[in-house]
Amino acid sequence: MTSQAETAGGVGPQHQSRTLAYLVVAGLLAILTAMEVWASYIHALRPILVPLLVVLSGAKFALVVLFYMHLHYDSWTFSAIFLPALLIAVIVVISLVALMVRFFAGF
Amino acid sequence: MVALPKEITVEESYLEGGGLWGWLTTTDHKRIGVLYGLTTLVFLLIGGIEALLMRIQLARPDNTFLSAHLYNEMFTMHGTTMIFLVVMPVGLGFFANFIVPLQIGARDVAFPRLNALSYWIFLFGALVLNAGWLANVAPNAGWFGYANLTESYYSPGLNIDFWTLGLLISGVGSVMAAVNLLATVINMRAPGMTFMRMPLFVWSVMVMFVLILVAFPPLTVGLIFLMMDRFFGTHFYRAVAGATPLLWQHLFWLFGHPEVYIMVLPAFGIMSEIVPTFSRKPLYGYPVMAYSTALIGFLSYGVWAHHMFAVGMGPVADSAFALTSMLIAIPTGIKIFSWIATMWGGDLKMKTPFLFALAFLIQFTMGGLSGVMHAQPPIDLQQTDSYFVVAHFHYVLFGGAAFALLGGLYYWWPKVTGRLLDERLGRWNFWTIVIGFNLTFFPMHIMGAEGMPRRVYRYPGDMGLNSLNMLSTIGAFLMAFSVLILLINIYKTRRRGAVAGPDPWDGRTLEWSIPSPPPAYNFKNIPLVRARDAFWREKYGYEQPPTAAPAPAAAQAVEHIHMPPPSLYPILIAAGITMTGIGFMLWPRIVVTGLVLTVFSAIAMAFEYPEAGAESEASIGPATGLDTRKVGIWCFIGSESLFFASLIATYMIYKGRDLVGPTAETILNVPLTTTTTFVLLMSSLTMVLAQDAYRRTDRTWGLRWLFVTIVLGLIFLGGQVYEFASFYHEGLTLQTNLFGETFYTMVGFHGAHVAIGVIVLAVLAGASLAGWFKVRNRDVAVEAAALYWHFVDIVWVVIFSVVYLMRAIAKA
Amino acid sequence: MSSASIRAAIHTLLAGVFAALLSGCDPRRFPGSTFAPRSDMAHWVEAVYFEVIGWDGLILILICVLVFLCLTRFSTRASEDQPKPPPPHPEYLGLEVAWTVGPALILLFIAVPSLRIVFRTQQSAPPTNALIINVTAHQWWWQFDYPSMGIHTANEVHIPVDRPVRFLLNSTDVIHSFWIPAMGGKRDVVPGHVNELTFTPQVTGEYIGECAEFCGLSHANMRFRVFVQSRVAFDDWRANQAGGPRLPTGGPARAGEQVYVTSACTTCHAIAGYSSGYIGPNLTHFASRTTFAGSTLRNTPQNLAAWLENPQALKPGAQMPALGLRGTELNDLVAYLESLK
Repeated sequence: MTSQAETAGGVGPQHQSRTLAYLVVAGLLAILTAMEVWASYIHALRPILVPLLVVLSGAKFALVVLFYMHLHYDSWTFSAIFLPALLIAVIVVISLVALMVRFFAGF
Repeated sequence: MVALPKEITVEESYLEGGGLWGWLTTTDHKRIGVLYGLTTLVFLLIGGIEALLMRIQLARPDNTFLSAHLYNEMFTMHGTTMIFLVVMPVGLGFFANFIVPLQIGARDVAFPRLNALSYWIFLFGALVLNAGWLANVAPNAGWFGYANLTESYYSPGLNIDFWTLGLLISGVGSVMAAVNLLATVINMRAPGMTFMRMPLFVWSVMVMFVLILVAFPPLTVGLIFLMMDRFFGTHFYRAVAGATPLLWQHLFWLFGHPEVYIMVLPAFGIMSEIVPTFSRKPLYGYPVMAYSTALIGFLSYGVWAHHMFAVGMGPVADSAFALTSMLIAIPTGIKIFSWIATMWGGDLKMKTPFLFALAFLIQFTMGGLSGVMHAQPPIDLQQTDSYFVVAHFHYVLFGGAAFALLGGLYYWWPKVTGRLLDERLGRWNFWTIVIGFNLTFFPMHIMGAEGMPRRVYRYPGDMGLNSLNMLSTIGAFLMAFSVLILLINIYKTRRRGAVAGPDPWDGRTLEWSIPSPPPAYNFKNIPLVRARDAFWREKYGYEQPPTAAPAPAAAQAVEHIHMPPPSLYPILIAAGITMTGIGFMLWPRIVVTGLVLTVFSAIAMAFEYPEAGAESEASIGPATGLDTRKVGIWCFIGSESLFFASLIATYMIYKGRDLVGPTAETILNVPLTTTTTFVLLMSSLTMVLAQDAYRRTDRTWGLRWLFVTIVLGLIFLGGQVYEFASFYHEGLTLQTNLFGETFYTMVGFHGAHVAIGVIVLAVLAGASLAGWFKVRNRDVAVEAAALYWHFVDIVWVVIFSVVYLMRAIAKA
Repeated sequence: MSSASIRAAIHTLLAGVFAALLSGCDPRRFPGSTFAPRSDMAHWVEAVYFEVIGWDGLILILICVLVFLCLTRFSTRASEDQPKPPPPHPEYLGLEVAWTVGPALILLFIAVPSLRIVFRTQQSAPPTNALIINVTAHQWWWQFDYPSMGIHTANEVHIPVDRPVRFLLNSTDVIHSFWIPAMGGKRDVVPGHVNELTFTPQVTGEYIGECAEFCGLSHANMRFRVFVQSRVAFDDWRANQAGGPRLPTGGPARAGEQVYVTSACTTCHAIAGYSSGYIGPNLTHFASRTTFAGSTLRNTPQNLAAWLENPQALKPGAQMPALGLRGTELNDLVAYLESLK
């Protein structure tokens, strides 16, 4: 039973170091948000704003998912559940928007 | 918690004891499966009667047996009933629910009370769907209810409201059931039951669960938009405001096409059980079969727009969806050929289940091949919305899915009831339904090719359609007769049928190793699985000697079997949800009562058995070592991703199409939202610190961080309330323009998720104060809540970018 | 016994397919047939159709033969129905590859011509000499306007043979679908978006058109007729339609003219020079049409009188109200409308 509880709960020696990682991630999240907002006000960045925001927000997204949601530490099973769903969600957004924008433009 | 006596002498079947109260409060997956089975049987009869009435109307040209109004209600409710209340729930609720735990060697599903909740929600949703009949305002816009016909201007009256609400409610039940069963398959498999040793039925329904999780959210979002259009005067599907009714079609078919596979995949799974068993040969090409199942599931999500070739998407989109649609034929073909290869060289036992499997092979192939026809856009332009399509999908869903499901019924009936269905009546049932089926639906191919549109309550007598329609009506009555034979068979053998014994078919999978009907706890000892076709190999020996040591568990005496306790709360929660919905539609004053009932029953259910400590052990997967609650919440998060994806896609599609201001560029307050965004991000930090503290059993700090998280969440919500209020004062309401409705809806639903998160955290904080976390391993509850909280946080990361930071980006 | 029955069933099905294909090409028995192509587009579609039917037929026969062989060669007699250990099962990689690659190749054969037709039927630049007709779908009738000829009519559309025609489809209310089976395929009519359908009719004649997308209560009563005419006949029709309405000559018709101008008809209907309503069909040349009421009724005085008395009885949900006309008034109005050649 002990071994199972350990696997499930993840209580182990590596545990103490995580608090530091959480704080670093929070710092990065704050910095990235500040960069995003700054970039949205700079007119010169307008042409590359969308890809820039995709990268910056994607980084924030990944940080939260990997560290706060523990996919970095946890069993691959959880990644195997979440990542396909995320992939499908991204495909749905891209293809729906592409289809409808073409439709409105009269293709 | 039922603690069985040390010596188990009486193998009491799951069917015995408890009375009516026992059935209302049951959490046994087998009893819930039987409830699903009975419910779907009733709806099968209702949907069948609707079909017969339609066939009487169409037997002659220009018939007046049904009015146009009644006929439109009939075909709408026939389709809706058969799809949402018969084929899907019988696969999900009866077959998967009953059989999956037995086949993977589990005592029950992952979350037994959630299982009961899914059933009751499904039942109440089904009743709401049909409630319109009471006042002759049944839904009447077709099973795919195309907007903008469903808008209140063109469909005043409650017809569409019953449809929308019924589908929303029963959809919630389906998603819950899928989360539950997916977590079961992932985490409750017996030791040694690897994915590549799972019976193919489990593989098929596993893919089906995934499809339900990703396919239902777009439907939910589409239905919510429709409700808002009808109740609050928004314009999600109204061309006058710059929107388009085609958005509904995209959202609906994003759900609708996977739904076809949601209905067919259990049938594939049943085929893969019946064919090897009655061919007395292992399934041919097991790995390829498993992978092709997964591939079908994945591809089914990328073909939705082939339902829309006629709407004018343009040649590029048409071609792309034609190609993906054709691709699906490849893995489907692999399955057909593999089943035939399984039979080849076998030793075929011609029992009723196998007869149905053979019929499936031919009829489903025919349905699939006519599908290849309208995967070609040019042909589709002739076939779509004609009777050819009606013929096609009945070959897929009746000749395909329903025949396999009937085969599955004959196959597993002895396991469910302990008695075999009669073979002679079974053969009568088989031949009458196969002949009746082809008589009914084959002529429909020709009707469509001769220009008969679907959904017409009458047709002129000079189009050459008269005798074809008459033939079809005769066939329909033959099928009705066949269903009668099935009912007689069930009635006759229920008491006097041949006793089945545990293994009447010389079965291969674990469910045949236990008594029929199974005892409440399924397996006295959880089996150790050492090969594919585990039970078969145990009976007859292994092809290669098993690598694992023989099961030590078999010799061990069982002291306690923990079974899920009965609970009244599932039915109360379902009643609360239904009350809220009905109140929303008819009597606003009962909305609050419904909400209060839902929330309090949910909280009460969460803390129903305070003395039970053993749940923490029961929740660890024997094959994976993972906590089932975490598996469940991740499955739920996967589903939620698609919910928000649909909302975000809608926002992006309608961005910049407003006819009047104010728009994103002029009204958004970026500095304020940057602040609240920062607050929400920091709440994730405090949340993870709280969870960390609980894991260290440092409940003092855990509680502190929990409180900080709650306060941060409330600040975020406060910011949002302030923002909404100030927008309202600047003249942006839900009805002003497309920006207003998409913005309020998307950000509002996100805010509702934050609010639910705050409530959950508050409840956990209360539990913590009451000392609930002193029991070992309960900190996983905090982890599950934390995962949800972080997910809501990352959704905001995306919304913040898309709405606030890209405010000035115009579409090319 | 069962295998023989299955064989018989297969034979019946195949015979049915062939019988349908042969008789289905006879437009006199089946005026709505999709297998009687009368335009360039319909011929292209049919070519793809037959190609796919051929491949489909081959695959269906292959699978039926395989199942049939399994049944005849490997069935067990009831007496041998005892538990038996499973045989070992060899699996052949070649077989797996074959039934993956084979269907993929067949699909490729199908896809290439099919997608070529997709692009050919949806060209962004239609032929320059195309006759443009604006189609407006209403619940539950079709409005046809010829912008280049000043013609406004309803439920019956006339087009010249061998000249490309381009229908621009729009809807005033819900989604409909514009389908002329003999001309090859339908196009949905989506509110807020102009769709188009272009083809060249090749054979003169009268063809059936239908609304194919469920559009509410009287969806079944939303039909129309297409008259493909020779150049000369079309020009005659066009000259008549482009002119004003005939003036009533006889007594009842003249009285009916008065009934028309003083009744509520004028709010919704147009007769050039008399009224300009646009909710209902334009009646300027009403009597030149062979049918009315969504092309569900033959244009006879009896039918028209019945319609005017109670439109909803003949077409549920029709927006036209019963005007309460009786006796002479009704007969005069019928006489007037039937004089509008």
